Amino acid sequence: MLESDPFCDFSKHEDPSIALPSSYIPLPDGPHTRELASARRMPPKRATFKVFSGVLMLALFFAIIIGGRNSDVHANGNALLATSTSSMASKPLRPVSRGLSAGVSEKANHVFSGIEVVSFPWNNTMLSWQRTAYHFQPEKNWMNDPNGPMYYKGWYHFFYQYNPNGPVWGDIVWGHAASKDLIHWLHLPLAMVADQWYDLNGVWTGSATLLPDGRVIMLYTGSTNESVQVQNLAYPANLSDPLLVNWEKYSGNPVLRPPPGVDLKDFRDPTTAWYTSDGKWNIAIGSKVNKTGITLIYHTEDFKSYELLDGVLHAVPGTGMWECVDFYPVSKISGKGLDTSANGPEVKHVLKTSLDNDKNDYYAIGTYDEKAGRWVPDNPKIGIELRYDYGIFYASKSFYDLHKGRRVLWGWIKESDSEIADVKKGWASVQSIPRTVLLDTKTGTNLLQWPVEEVDSLRLTSREFERVEVKAGSVVPLDIDAATQLDIFAEFELDREALEMTAQTNVEFSCSTSGGAAERGALGPFGLLVLADDSLSEQTPVYFFIVKGTDGNLKTFFCADQTRSSEATDVNKQIYGSSVPVLKDEKLSVRILVDHSIVEIFAQGGRTCITSRVYPTKAIYGAARLFLFNNATGASVTSSLKIWQMNSAFIRPFQPGQDA
Amino acid sequence: MKLLLLIFLVQAVLQTIYLPASQGTVQPMDARLIEQTCKQTPLYNLCVSILKSDSRSSKADVTGLALIMVDVLKAKATGTRNYIKRLLRGNLKRDVRHGLSSCAEVYNSVLEADVPVAIEALQKGNPKFAEQAANDAAIEASSCERSFSGHSPLTKSNKSMQDVSSVAAAIVRLLL
Repeated sequence: MLESDPFCDFSKHEDPSIALPSSYIPLPDGPHTRELASARRMPPKRATFKVFSGVLMLALFFAIIIGGRNSDVHANGNALLATSTSSMASKPLRPVSRGLSAGVSEKANHVFSGIEVVSFPWNNTMLSWQRTAYHFQPEKNWMNDPNGPMYYKGWYHFFYQYNPNGPVWGDIVWGHAASKDLIHWLHLPLAMVADQWYDLNGVWTGSATLLPDGRVIMLYTGSTNESVQVQNLAYPANLSDPLLVNWEKYSGNPVLRPPPGVDLKDFRDPTTAWYTSDGKWNIAIGSKVNKTGITLIYHTEDFKSYELLDGVLHAVPGTGMWECVDFYPVSKISGKGLDTSANGPEVKHVLKTSLDNDKNDYYAIGTYDEKAGRWVPDNPKIGIELRYDYGIFYASKSFYDLHKGRRVLWGWIKESDSEIADVKKGWASVQSIPRTVLLDTKTGTNLLQWPVEEVDSLRLTSREFERVEVKAGSVVPLDIDAATQLDIFAEFELDREALEMTAQTNVEFSCSTSGGAAERGALGPFGLLVLADDSLSEQTPVYFFIVKGTDGNLKTFFCADQTRSSEATDVNKQIYGSSVPVLKDEKLSVRILVDHSIVEIFAQGGRTCITSRVYPTKAIYGAARLFLFNNATGASVTSSLKIWQMNSAFIRPFQPGQDA
Repeated sequence: MKLLLLIFLVQAVLQTIYLPASQGTVQPMDARLIEQTCKQTPLYNLCVSILKSDSRSSKADVTGLALIMVDVLKAKATGTRNYIKRLLRGNLKRDVRHGLSSCAEVYNSVLEADVPVAIEALQKGNPKFAEQAANDAAIEASSCERSFSGHSPLTKSNKSMQDVSSVAAAIVRLLL
């Protein structure tokens, strides 16, 4: 760690008092005028000399300042090659693993050491299989954050960060789609493009607020022509168009500029607004100060002028930039969602952030006193530590669905294959199936996420399996037809005797540092093998692993193992997962949505969720299979399952006349 | 009068000290940023020598240093891609040709995807995409190296790409 943090010093150099964001630092002009004024009072000859020397000094002064700025860039190719060879000899080479950027902490790096990555010869058959059938994705190119989700005049709207020019991030604009049921999406024209100076370098993430008078407010981050992050206001051009095809940007944009103390590039992703007791609105925006991630609150009446509230809603040192902050109420008593403005004694508030330096979404549950402007987490020892999802799930955003009275969550699921494959296949990223979010009233300390009920409408034929016994160390094939578009609900029961007789262990278990499904324990692993082929050369185990601690109590872990998911080596091979609370008398249960290259997994009713991207080379199309497995050393397991074949959602461009 | 002359002389002396700095020599303050930044990368010496030999580094913040490193990455990838093209024109054994074609694709991807994404992400203030891109470049260089069943004619270039990419990724990480 650095003693004197250069980044602290840097942010002080940004002059916050400059109204217009600018990279040009104005030169001082004081001495110049003073010199000339004093010169006039002296005799002419002396005066001339003094003026001349004064001007000369100033000219030299300017030369230093300006000359320093215009230095040329010359690449020094040969010299660099020479030095690099010598430095290579001194330090052993460790290729940077994909793991770091995909959210694995330093500790889990050892999973990658020794794996030799080779570019796999992906062909069109394999690549085209990867496209999902019922998850939202544009027809091609790159997508990232979900934006402005809302329900309006009978349609669900979804906007998203989109690159119209290629399958990698860049040239970001707002894509748009609409649906009657959060599942069958119809692509609409781009909602907003980078056509103003205040969003020329990016029309970035934002959120919608539906006002009581029927107006729709969209606040979003623009990266200006000078790459300063500002907040802008936009609204539908025509409120009577239920498809909200055209959008207008407020002529007075930007409505918010980075405040003092915060870097010009650390100010983005405004939230949905919530109503305050003084009849106005609050919004939250994430940022950071040095390495402390923070949430700022702004107060507004008209969404055009804002007042920054004192202090921060929350701050956690060492977490870096807070992106895509989300702040919303959940009910302690009912199984229904709450409007973003709800509050009261039976309401808790969730604060969520996406951590830039870690690529994961974290949340904490607490109590919000809106009048005092304070949110206090239930567990003050935790900064912001619970994860929505232990796989790939980032930049998530929730909204209140007033049509069905629920809070719905979207999450960006990026690729975990190689970039070359993304370029070959011409697209990258999907969205999670929208999930309802509720407080887990049984534990009180975590949220529950569950696919929206409308996904059930995709179910076609089903097959039920009652009490299938899976002996220790065995694999049981499940006879279903296809296995690439499935909705699986499975329950598991471990042999009672084995549970009681198993010795205690003080060995710490963690999905990501374990040996995956191949590591045998007394009480696990057991679960399902999805996207497996007949020979099991490719398989994605989704499983429970139970450990009996030194206090005699059972601790249950839930993992998804990608290490053998594909014969290709240029795809992510991590093991995702975490512990999952299992209450007394609860059976172990899991729901799995399999949709080609995405597998979304929900354990214990959504207490622990894992989203994984899987890229098999053989277990595709008709060759994909589903198995039950039990790799425990002694205990046998009994499982009951129901498995549905899932229809496609036929996500396609909107056709006037056909679709409305 | 004498006072003014004295001031003038002092100015002149000071300028002879500071003018060279604006033409490429690194001042003590800037050197500290480079050193502190490079200490947080896996290859300190490489990082420092690359940055110090680029005159932009004296006025750069951490984002600027990252951009310089990405520029070097781009230059190296361009050089390697050109080298591969030259090699492919020659008479080659099948497995070598196969490996080189694979590598040509890899280096194309670095130049067409990774580098532009890294530059745009750094300039526009969304550095995590630059980190991903730099990591991708390192992985791709290593996969190129392994696409040769026998001897690789690109070992030096691939290693160099991996080195610079890992340094670039580490610098970008400081911005997150």
